[in-house]
Amino acid sequence: MPASSELATLVRLPENVALHARPAGMFVREAARAVAEIRVEANGRSANAKSILDVLALGATGGTELVMSASGADAAEALERLAELVSSLT
Amino acid sequence: MSDNGFVGLVIISHSAPLAQGLAELVGQVAGPDVPIEAIGGGPEGSLGTDGGRVLEALQRAAQGSGSVVLMDLGSSVLSVKAALGELGEDELALLRVADAPLVEGAVAAGVMASTGDDVDGVLRAAEEARHARKL
Repeated sequence: MPASSELATLVRLPENVALHARPAGMFVREAARAVAEIRVEANGRSANAKSILDVLALGATGGTELVMSASGADAAEALERLAELVSSLT
Repeated sequence: MSDNGFVGLVIISHSAPLAQGLAELVGQVAGPDVPIEAIGGGPEGSLGTDGGRVLEALQRAAQGSGSVVLMDLGSSVLSVKAALGELGEDELALLRVADAPLVEGAVAAGVMASTGDDVDGVLRAAEEARHARKL
C-alpha cells in the first residue's frame, strides 16, 4: 500500500449528541491515540481530529454527518475506533 | 495536587468564579484524570490576585509529572512571575507557564494532558491555541 494512501469513512452523530464538551474531548483523546493523521469534516469545515479547538469549531450538532479521513500506519484501525466511538456517544 | 501520572493545570484569574468555571469546563472536556487547580480573586475575596495563594498553588503543582500554569491578565501574570522567583530549581523544572489565551489554552492543554502527554507537549497545546480560529 502506498504510504500516501488515505482512507475515509462516514459516520453520523447520534441525534441527541453534539460534538461539544465531553463528547468532543472523548473524540480527540481517541484520535490522539493514533499515529495516523486524521481529519474530520462537517458543515463544510475541516478539522484536525487531534485538536480539541479545531473539533469544537466544527459546531457539529446531533445527527450531523462526519466525514473522517486518515493516512498513516494505523489509519484503518483509527477510523474504525473513531466511528465506533461516535456511534456510541450518549 | 495529586500525582496520578498526568500533567496538571493551574488556572489563575482575577475572578474566583471565572477560574472555577473554567476548571469545570476543562474537567468536562478533558475528563476526570487531569488535576486542575483554580486560583481566583484577591485576599478579601475581591477581584484581584493573591500572591500568597498563587505561590502556594505553584508549589503544590510542582510535583509528579508537573503542571502548566495559565493566567488571565495583568497582575495575574505578575503574581505568577513573582511566585516563580520564590521557587527552587527542582520546582521550576516541573512547571511551564503558558503564553496563551486563557479559555482556549486551558481547554487545549487539558485535553492534551488527558492523553498522557508530558509537560512540554501540554504547554505546546496551550500556546497553539493562540492561532485557533473560531469563525
